[in-house]
Amino acid sequence: MSSSGQYSYSYIFKYIIIGDMGVGKSCLLHQFTEQKFMPDCPHTIGVEFGTRIIEVHGEKIKLQIWDTAGQERFRAVTRSYYRGAAGALMVYDITRRSTYNHLSSWLTDTKNLTNPNTVIFLIGNKMDLEGSRDVRYDEAKKFAEENDLIFVEASAMTGENVEQAFLETAKKIYQNIKDGKLNANMTESGVQHKERGGPASLGDSSSSDKPNCSC
Amino acid sequence: MNSIQKLLSSDESIISSHEVSLVQGWMRSSKHLIILEKSRDLKALLVASEGVDYALPIDSDFKFDIDCESKSKNAGDVFISITYQKNKLLFEMLPVSKTNAFINELLKAMEHQSKRKSAGDYSWLKKYSKKTDLTVENQGVVMDARTCTVPSENRAVFVCTCAALGKFVILGIEVLTFCWTYDSVIKYQMSIREQDYTYIQGIQVFIGTWNVNGQSPSCDLSDWLTTTVDPPHIYAIGFQELDLSKEAFLFNETLKEDEWLRAVTKSLHPGAAYQKICLVRLVGMMLIVFVEENLAQHVHNVASDTVGTGIMGKLGNKGGVAIRLDLHTTSLCFVNSHLAAHTEEFERRNQDFHDIDSRIAFTGFLPPKSIKDHDQIYWLGDLNYRITDLDLTKVKNLINAGKYQTILEHDQLTRQHAKGNVFLGYKEGAIHFRPTYKYDVGTDDWDSSEKNRAPAWCDRVLYKGDGIRQQVDYKSVPSLKISDHKPVMSLFNSDIRVIDAVRYRKVHEEVMKKLDKLENEFLPQVMVDNTEVVFDTLRFLEAQNKTLIIANTGQVPVQFEFIKKFDDSNYCKDWLHIEPYMGFILPGEKCDVKLEVYVDKRCASKMNSGQDKIYDILVLHLEGGKDLFITVTGSYERSVFGCSIETLVQLNVPLRDVALGKLIELESSKDSGTLSNTSYSVPKEIWFLVDHLYRHGLKQQNLFEHPGLPSEILLIRNWLDTGSSDPLPGSVHSVAESLLLLLESTAEPLIPYNMHPACLTASTSYVQAKQLIASLPLCSRNVYLYLCSFLQELLSHAEENRLDAKTIATLFGQIFLRDPPRSRDPSARGKSQTQTQARRKANFVYHFLVNDFSELIAPVNHPG
Ligand SMILES: Nc1nc2c(ncn2[C@@H]2O[C@H](COP(=O)(O)OP(=O)(O)OP(=O)(O)O)[C@@H](O)[C@H]2O)c(=O)[nH]1
Ligand SMILES: [Mg+2]
Repeated sequence: MSSSGQYSYSYIFKYIIIGDMGVGKSCLLHQFTEQKFMPDCPHTIGVEFGTRIIEVHGEKIKLQIWDTAGQERFRAVTRSYYRGAAGALMVYDITRRSTYNHLSSWLTDTKNLTNPNTVIFLIGNKMDLEGSRDVRYDEAKKFAEENDLIFVEASAMTGENVEQAFLETAKKIYQNIKDGKLNANMTESGVQHKERGGPASLGDSSSSDKPNCSC
Repeated sequence: MNSIQKLLSSDESIISSHEVSLVQGWMRSSKHLIILEKSRDLKALLVASEGVDYALPIDSDFKFDIDCESKSKNAGDVFISITYQKNKLLFEMLPVSKTNAFINELLKAMEHQSKRKSAGDYSWLKKYSKKTDLTVENQGVVMDARTCTVPSENRAVFVCTCAALGKFVILGIEVLTFCWTYDSVIKYQMSIREQDYTYIQGIQVFIGTWNVNGQSPSCDLSDWLTTTVDPPHIYAIGFQELDLSKEAFLFNETLKEDEWLRAVTKSLHPGAAYQKICLVRLVGMMLIVFVEENLAQHVHNVASDTVGTGIMGKLGNKGGVAIRLDLHTTSLCFVNSHLAAHTEEFERRNQDFHDIDSRIAFTGFLPPKSIKDHDQIYWLGDLNYRITDLDLTKVKNLINAGKYQTILEHDQLTRQHAKGNVFLGYKEGAIHFRPTYKYDVGTDDWDSSEKNRAPAWCDRVLYKGDGIRQQVDYKSVPSLKISDHKPVMSLFNSDIRVIDAVRYRKVHEEVMKKLDKLENEFLPQVMVDNTEVVFDTLRFLEAQNKTLIIANTGQVPVQFEFIKKFDDSNYCKDWLHIEPYMGFILPGEKCDVKLEVYVDKRCASKMNSGQDKIYDILVLHLEGGKDLFITVTGSYERSVFGCSIETLVQLNVPLRDVALGKLIELESSKDSGTLSNTSYSVPKEIWFLVDHLYRHGLKQQNLFEHPGLPSEILLIRNWLDTGSSDPLPGSVHSVAESLLLLLESTAEPLIPYNMHPACLTASTSYVQAKQLIASLPLCSRNVYLYLCSFLQELLSHAEENRLDAKTIATLFGQIFLRDPPRSRDPSARGKSQTQTQARRKANFVYHFLVNDFSELIAPVNHPG
């Protein structure tokens, strides 16, 4: 092969997935990376990591996704992972009202701990369980509008709208870069622009992305 | 490679070299495998990166296997394992034809070995290997994976053996951890699927060779170069004896180069326009490659090289010149050679061929490419092979009768080729033309000079490569008469692979998708046996251990590390110790991490006040992967150690009987200074300890200097905490140490931190020192004066206990005016500062050991 530049993706976007425990964060990530549903997903005790390359307007973008533990006791620790996220997927469970009620607290954390241009995407998960619905669509839609969030109901089980949530977020981030709102080479932005030479190693990028391993 | 080439002795040569990966999962390190040959006999395999890592003799201990297990896992990848004695190396190779070629060479080398009768002396190999401890002479050195070091920068070097690990074994790998050479992986995957996005295009390749005997091009060359109806796509035209002058030989300079280039350019097929791609010349050997203009834009990576095999085996009167290029995705190599002359020298010619074959190296590639690394090879030239064992007149008669076949049976090249001594794997088309040598210049007559040379097919074209589909033409051109040789031409129908842009994009997309998936699969993964480590009830100064087992359940080696959280200064609380806190685990292996909790004088007060508890969330970070949270919990049984003086004076029951909430309340209200009237003037615990020393220790030598016994100190702790009515246990030394420990475990020293600067300044003045002590909170002042009184008493027995005021002052200076935690600066400046500080502290306390301070003392309310 004569040229190598054509293989590279041009951007790395860092995402975080947050929300109460059991809302389906890990299932959403798994559905997005593997196109499979995990019925017996154990609680996340830590921060899981997944990647996938997508294409936005003809440009290859590598998503590095951090799926955080939702349990309250880890809240203080998971806050370390917000910094440098270009996208935040905030998830609640449409069948459990409490997870919806906690959104304002998640939102506060996100606003406080990420940069102003971080794209926040609200996902009402488990839309397949229509029968046990506990949060009305328009109610959540209103909350999203009030807080300037993009909103969709999705199901990690059927896969409905999952792809869309991740892609829409990327499109919005990409748009922000093109509009000059986001400087692709500041570590805080959660976005790395790759020159033609090819992507940096995963190890490199993750360690510079990670807020707290400056050890 | 170059460094290896420098090491080669004249009788050693590189038979084949191949780029491979030492891979585990997706961690790979690039290596070259090089097959060496000595004296055309002994073979060896070098494993090299920048230098040579291993030099392995290919002898009876050498084994080689295509690893099928791994193969099935990842279809398309070729894994080979090479075992030498007990050591095994595992390599991944691209499933391309070069890999096959290399493996064939390796098999051939092993076959050669198996036919040898003796083992062979391999001492010549020593010079290649930098790591002598793992070569043949010293295989006893065996390291196992557990000794592997994890130095800085994610770089792990590990050496292990079959014996140590039992199964998946790697020997001498330098792993650049988590270095995803993403591009190279994609390239590799794309090369596997080349068939899917390329199509075949037929082209015509014209090969010409002519020994021009030093003549200038005085005639038109069209008869030779333009013999077809359709213009060929590629011309590769070689000359020998372009210039026989001394200048050409000595300085490699000649005007003939331009003359012939012009003559050739003029006579190329008029049906197409050509672009000169490359011209290479060594003395009289010249090779020019032209490519048809439209095709020329698809030519990449053009390179050339020359090899002299003439005088002393080096000079350019004989040898070869070569040009290589990539046309679309097909690699082509053209070699023009002039081999040794004289009828009897056929073996020399064979050797020349091998020298050229092994020494031509196209640099600018990593590793440099050699002739055999090409899809299609066209080898032309004055190969100089003659006709032997046949009478001259008979030869001429047979030629005239057109019975070339009979003569060819006596052609040295035909014979040597058939025997496999030269041009192995090459093909030559049938010869239906008169021998091209030797003619009287200007005629078609055989040499009529005194030497009367026998006719011979000196000038030949051979070829190798699946893509060379058909030899359309192979003939000499008698009408060109300026030389004693006739030119030869050959025309080939060859296939090249052309990339289909649309299909390429599609395959590329698929490959990216597949890799993307795999990337998640090959992320580092571990399981820990427990994410909630719960300790039993902890007590002051009693350590407890638990083991956390981290198992690598993923497919790649894992580097783990406990990392700091957000704004913490350390990766764990100060009562916790993690050993090791970072490490490296191979797939399928485990690492035991020891967690030790230990509440000592530094952290006891925070436990008592409720400021801290046995609770910590550890972040176990996998380099390049996820993080795991490990929760450490336990309960702590509070002790008087760690209580403030203010709290202790208010405790009129044993600590064990005090409710937790009450203790926290006392600790948090200690600054208010409101002491109830039931308070003691000094804590009962201090009183008990001092009283004991007063009664049993006044005459004890080395009191406070001699350490106590840890077990006794624990008994004393229990005695104090439970308010036991038994006699105080332990030796006076243990009691003395307990007293110090009690004073050291408080949150603030007896003289609070904020008074330290004033105390240090006042260290030269007893009057000022007294004023400062008088301003202490009441209970601290009481304890201070109480202890100083006791110390004075102690010093009054100096004759028996041999204590002196200076020593005691230094010791208690450090206790009464204890430094805040972690204020010690390791730098030299910090150290000398601490020393002057220590001296001043001692001076401060000294005043109270040698002066009467009874005016400061309030009446003491002794407990008990
Ligand atoms: N029916 C249905 N069940 C879902 C869906 N998504 C997740 N679940 C189930 O919900 C449970 C919790 O899902 P997880 O993905 O583990 O939730 P989480 O947000 O990652 O939880 P933590 O890791 O504890 O923060 C699992 O049993 C899933 O099978 C969904 O879309 N539909
Ligand atoms: Mg989860």
